[in-house]
Amino acid sequence: MIELDRVSRRFADRDALRHLSLTVPAGQMAFVTGHSGAGKSTLLKLLLLLDRPTGGEIRVQGDATHLIKGRAVAPYRRRFGAVFQEHRLLFDRNVHDNVALPLEIAGFSPRDITRRVRAALDKVGLLARERADPASLSGGEQQRVGIARAVVARPEFLVADEPTGNLDPGLSAEIMALFEAFNQVGVTVLVATHDLGLISRFRHRVITLESGHLVEPNTLP
Amino acid sequence: MNRTEPENSNHWGPWSAWRAQHRVAAVTSWQKMVARPGATWLTWIVLAISLALPSAILLTLDNLRETLHGLSGAPQISVLLSLESNLAAADALREDVEAWPEVAIVSVVDRARALAEFIESSGFNSLPASLARNPLPHTLLVTPAEGLGAQAVARLATRLEAEVLVAQVVVDARWLERLEQMLRLGSRWVQGLGGAMILGAILVLANTLRLAVDARREEIQVVRLMGGSDAFARRPFLYTGVWYGAGGGLMATILVWGFGLWLSGPVNALLLLYDRPTQLLWLGPQYPLALILGSACLGWLAAWWVTERFFGH
Repeated sequence: MIELDRVSRRFADRDALRHLSLTVPAGQMAFVTGHSGAGKSTLLKLLLLLDRPTGGEIRVQGDATHLIKGRAVAPYRRRFGAVFQEHRLLFDRNVHDNVALPLEIAGFSPRDITRRVRAALDKVGLLARERADPASLSGGEQQRVGIARAVVARPEFLVADEPTGNLDPGLSAEIMALFEAFNQVGVTVLVATHDLGLISRFRHRVITLESGHLVEPNTLP
Repeated sequence: MNRTEPENSNHWGPWSAWRAQHRVAAVTSWQKMVARPGATWLTWIVLAISLALPSAILLTLDNLRETLHGLSGAPQISVLLSLESNLAAADALREDVEAWPEVAIVSVVDRARALAEFIESSGFNSLPASLARNPLPHTLLVTPAEGLGAQAVARLATRLEAEVLVAQVVVDARWLERLEQMLRLGSRWVQGLGGAMILGAILVLANTLRLAVDARREEIQVVRLMGGSDAFARRPFLYTGVWYGAGGGLMATILVWGFGLWLSGPVNALLLLYDRPTQLLWLGPQYPLALILGSACLGWLAAWWVTERFFGH
């Protein structure tokens, strides 16, 4: 469960989040939407401890994030899988090694790594491209490699920041279906997107932000 | 909470995981260096030159010291006895002095024989006729014990002077003292030069590593985002530093070895001219070992220093 309790993030010139309070129960899939600058990315950054709130408190499965510092940050981040609009794949290694990175970090054995990477790539339909150079893949394929990397270590939470921003509608729906599939096996999924048309095709909770405020009440469909 | 923890199957524990991570970091950083042979060779060569120069001078000094050590037994002390003393007294004194621990060999030069030798070597055949009596005293030639330093030789001379029969003691040890002083100066010089060269080596390494870190900035960020610890993200760079250092040390060894080979001909010929059958001191196993290990440590330190601004707190 992710709980935000009157969370604010104030920058020098503006407030990215203002007293935002919301709860995402474990196992839920939710879309975070709003115009650009509404605070979607800020929210995800605060969850990944890439940034810290200037006010309020965030609790992840009951752990207050402001108490997670120094050496505790890395193990905390391993509980999350993260997907980005610009993929953030490493182009100095092939698809397999990109997906293997979280497993290497977590200290899996080489045999387990191979097995799990294959399973993750199979799930996103890219097992045949295991040895390919990421640069040779299409945008949609690169994003699927990014998703495989995010889920390969079986995190508790999957957060995605505009994962379909560069993709055409058909591919976007495919990507969202993938997130849905991971949610169905118990992963809590939070997807930030401004694509309202795409959201309307899925029946999941929608959290709408505007200028750092929550616009709609926490309603479950 | 424990879903991301590795499975504890097939004896795979934290220790195995740690070793596997090190193996991956070591191998991938080596592969990255091999993939860019031009830059890698250049770094190795610059490093090798910075390390080889002080090493070669150090080797030369070691050789000189070794040679000097062999020579230190050579300066003889001439002990001129008073003119009144006879040969029997000289022999008695010889036996006394030879028992001293700081003395190796003592021989007596008979005054009559000394004069005869002098006449023979100088060619003054008419000299005895013009002399009322032999002006030379009996003389003891004292060879100090092996390895006696210049100061100890001077003390030995003072002790000899205190003997009743002794008129004068002649030691030619000043040159020995001067040489020792020169060697001391040489050592300082090598230390200073070596320090400057090693500093240069560290700066070259640091610059190369800084470029490597800058080129892989994205990788560091992604690793941290995936929950990699600072140690994990830093490890490939530390290994890169070690590989650069060890490679540079190995090349420096080869350079010093080649330099020694190039010098050994003339030096051995020179030693032969001095009737010293010793050979040029060759590279002992401590040189390659110290160079490669020391240089690898330098590489590691340089990498630590460069990555400190990313990972330091």
